[in-house]
Amino acid sequence: MAGTQAVKPATPKRRNINNVAYLFIIPFVVVFCIFSLYPVIRTLYLSFTNYKGYGDAVGVGISNYVRVFQDKYFWQAFLNTCNIWIVNIVLQLGLAFLLTIVFSDMKYRIRGLSIFRAVFYLPNLISCASVSFLFKTLLDWKYGTFNQILMNMNLISQPVNWLGTPTVTPYVVSVINAWMWFGNSFIMLMAGVQGIPKDYFEAAAIDGAGRWKIFGKITLPLLKPIMIYVAITSLIGGLQMFDMPHLMSQGNAAIHDGCLNTMVMYLYKFGFTVNQVGYASAIAYVLFLIILVVSVAQFFIMNRKED
Amino acid sequence: MATKIKKTILYIVLIALAIMCIIPFLLMIVNATRDGRSIMTSFTLIPGTALKENWDKVFGYFNLFKGFWNSLVVAVPATILGAYFSALTAYALAVYKFKGSSFMFYVIVIFMMIPGQLGLIGFYNLVSSLKLINSYIPLIIPAIAAPGTVFFLRQYILSVMPMALLEAGRIDGAGELYMFHKIALPIMAPGIATMAIGGFIGNWNSYLVPLIILTKNEKFTLPVMIASLSASTDIANNQGATYLAVAISIIPILIVFCFCSKYIISSISAGSVKG
Amino acid sequence: MKLKKLTALLLAGIMALSLTACGKSDAPAEKKDETPVESSEPAADDVQEPADENNDDQTAAADLSGELVVWTLANDLISFADKFMETYPDVKVETIVIAPEDYPTKLQSALLGGETEPDIIVGEPQMLGNWYEAGFFEDLNQAPYNAQDYADQIVDYIWKIGQDENGIQRAISYQITPVAVYYRRDIAKDVFGTDDPDEVGKLFADYTTILDTGYKLKDAGYRIFASDAEPGFFSGDSAWVIDGKLNVDQDRYDYMDLVTELYNNDLTAFASQWAAPWYQAMSGPVPILTAETQWGTDEMNIWDADSFAAATEGADTAEVFAFVLPSWGVLTMRDNVGDNAGKYGVCAGPSYQYNGGTFIGISAQSERKELSWEFIKFCTLSEETADWWIEYSQGDTVSLISALEKHKDDTNEIYGGQKLYQFFLGQAEHIDFSKITKYDKAINDAWGAAITAVKQGDKSKEDAVAEFYDVVSATYPELTIER
Repeated sequence: MAGTQAVKPATPKRRNINNVAYLFIIPFVVVFCIFSLYPVIRTLYLSFTNYKGYGDAVGVGISNYVRVFQDKYFWQAFLNTCNIWIVNIVLQLGLAFLLTIVFSDMKYRIRGLSIFRAVFYLPNLISCASVSFLFKTLLDWKYGTFNQILMNMNLISQPVNWLGTPTVTPYVVSVINAWMWFGNSFIMLMAGVQGIPKDYFEAAAIDGAGRWKIFGKITLPLLKPIMIYVAITSLIGGLQMFDMPHLMSQGNAAIHDGCLNTMVMYLYKFGFTVNQVGYASAIAYVLFLIILVVSVAQFFIMNRKED
Repeated sequence: MATKIKKTILYIVLIALAIMCIIPFLLMIVNATRDGRSIMTSFTLIPGTALKENWDKVFGYFNLFKGFWNSLVVAVPATILGAYFSALTAYALAVYKFKGSSFMFYVIVIFMMIPGQLGLIGFYNLVSSLKLINSYIPLIIPAIAAPGTVFFLRQYILSVMPMALLEAGRIDGAGELYMFHKIALPIMAPGIATMAIGGFIGNWNSYLVPLIILTKNEKFTLPVMIASLSASTDIANNQGATYLAVAISIIPILIVFCFCSKYIISSISAGSVKG
Repeated sequence: MKLKKLTALLLAGIMALSLTACGKSDAPAEKKDETPVESSEPAADDVQEPADENNDDQTAAADLSGELVVWTLANDLISFADKFMETYPDVKVETIVIAPEDYPTKLQSALLGGETEPDIIVGEPQMLGNWYEAGFFEDLNQAPYNAQDYADQIVDYIWKIGQDENGIQRAISYQITPVAVYYRRDIAKDVFGTDDPDEVGKLFADYTTILDTGYKLKDAGYRIFASDAEPGFFSGDSAWVIDGKLNVDQDRYDYMDLVTELYNNDLTAFASQWAAPWYQAMSGPVPILTAETQWGTDEMNIWDADSFAAATEGADTAEVFAFVLPSWGVLTMRDNVGDNAGKYGVCAGPSYQYNGGTFIGISAQSERKELSWEFIKFCTLSEETADWWIEYSQGDTVSLISALEKHKDDTNEIYGGQKLYQFFLGQAEHIDFSKITKYDKAINDAWGAAITAVKQGDKSKEDAVAEFYDVVSATYPELTIER
């Protein structure tokens, strides 16, 4: 908060100083235009063609876009994605937040932050393929260890088909995804807390402010820019969810193309499996529009809260 | 007293959570020492005796150390370039007022929203027309333009950077780049370290782009090598060897991670002295 | 202002780039019509006596030199390449193995990018249609290859799959891949009183009989298959798409009923195909988990292998009777049967089908086509290579007819001394090559989803089939669908 207001050195003398910024951003802008902008513009062009991934790309106007909006399976994929993502994000951010509160608490002074932080981050280090392989084995219907444990503890009387039941499987993926990423969110939030000068907390503690008051009045407002980042990247990452549901349902078409079918999986199907690159490009742009609308809405909601 | 009990409970919960995070790792390392047959049959946390066998199998198929080296050659410069230039760009966006800065900020935010798979074919066409197939340049240079990192660091600077410090520096006659290096970078260090960890892991595990860009065995990075394990029937039979290869590939990440963790701590104490 | 100018400049540059890139991506399609300039002269010797390839190999042996790059999706071609380099020491072959799920992406991006490497490219049958159309594969009927002269040396259905829509030869496989049933001889004797492949084949004659066999086996304490996906290799009498029209034949529905009954009556061991327990079932009994049986005891330590094994010893287990796999399954079984080696037999299933096979061709953009053709001939058309491969792979089935006939009396001890080459050659003669279409992957997935929904009781058969039609029409709007 203090930072946002401080950016006002716009006296006439300073103009030449501000021009330094152009030099600073040149490397970024050049590389960005070549390696990010160009491929994306090309995709935009392809989305108006019937390009198959080879051969000629014949223009077809907006018909690919019309098709996306009429394709009920795309919208089903949209709902699936939201369904998986919402449960995931509540668990992931909720846990990360609780941990941040615990570790930034002045009274308990929990030790071992660096060790816990490293350990919580561990699941994020393993590649998604290994994690999926592991959980597929653990959660196997008739042969998985997880069901064996639950049955031994008499918690269930019949094995649960964790990865083959439309009402259960999406949430299993949510939980695994949250398990993989909560450490990451925690580190982000913690880095933000550590950026706050310690004297703020000490001063508040001397003034006799309680734990929740410190959290509400100091930590939370100062964390806001980081929180916006974490929330928006989680949203963007969530709506682009692909690896985990794709890998977890490989070999089970009913789940893969059913309750676990996310928007990017749908895009991938058309881009790489059935060779309709033009249509896949249109899906990509519709997906992008959806993310844009949702993020802007989220950004405004989070920004307004403070005022 | 009540505090102590609560504190104990908290520790128990935290340790339980930590165990949940460690178990898959242990399983992976233990499995690297077992033979494929017993891995298929049961789970155990007791190491097996097949480590030597697994090792011979992996290295009989390819030279994992070469892949290790290749991954390092890609991931280290990509991480450093990415961290440095993102910090520089973020600093420019957060500290200076210049024409187009808000436009650029919006472009960055928008590009974070574009699905990664989307530009793949265009990216390949570009690399191919630049004659950079089989070169590490298209794997390293694009790291300079990482919208997500810039966005994070901009937010980070806004929340931690005391602007008065910069004003003071200017009055002392310090150059802008000098101030970025001497004042801003140390203050941004925790944020940069956080992003660098993520960046290094991303670069180290990056699979799809290296896969399509690299076409020679001797240029393959670790993930591309490990994926080609799955195409090899000899090794697919032996789960243990695959686990071993994956376990080996994680070691450098652990090292970088430990190093960065320490760095975060030390930079914080340094920051608080200044503050 | 500066920023704007810069951006404009960059955009202009990018446009220029994108134009060159677009131009390039058309290259492979155009190229295929031209006769390759370089390749016409040096291989002239080969053209004169193409039919006698044994002779050919020997004369060529001395003067073959150069480098080749091979892209493939399994490691078998590494062995072929090593052998090739051993035979021709001046040749260097680099073989790149790419995971099958990534292979199409990688190959397409390279060839569309106009790369001249790889020289040798491969494809599985379902990938080939698109790639023929895209012009990735060199026309092998033209000089100097004249592949048509070799037509009668290769098993017919393999030869035909290697042809594009216009009958031009573009790829050849060194392998045939007829689907067969791999069954346990000891169990067959125990339950049905015979282990003769012809007799056991009758137990799999059609879906009704398969179910019957399944019940008999279950009553005797066995399971017919490890997974219910197993008989899928046999399903489908005709192509999914005929003349632009979706075609769901009666056999597909019958197969759906079969799977539903297998699933709901606990006739299989509920393993997932290609997952660990499935492999495990090849070598011995697997635990059978039903609603009634409880796992182990309370004291068992699930994390300790020994205690786990001891605790589950008393649990119900069952042995699996049969696996359905193409002829390359001989190798899968070889690696996984363990102590059951010698107890297996191979027999025919309800229909003649094939699955997979690595079809080898020359990239239309290669600059080393003559050497590439030598490599293809070496892999597919040389009896010497076929002899070596049969020996080396311990039982893979080649596509060269003369080799199959030469080895027709070879016995395979894992299968109780059965003469497999004779058997597979016989199966291959009945195969209809034309069932494959470029729509298969997506349509098979959709049909598989419908079957799962029906067998689990999530949907009625009618709803599931209606849903299937919807999915297909959303995926391929160009297909005519009659419901």
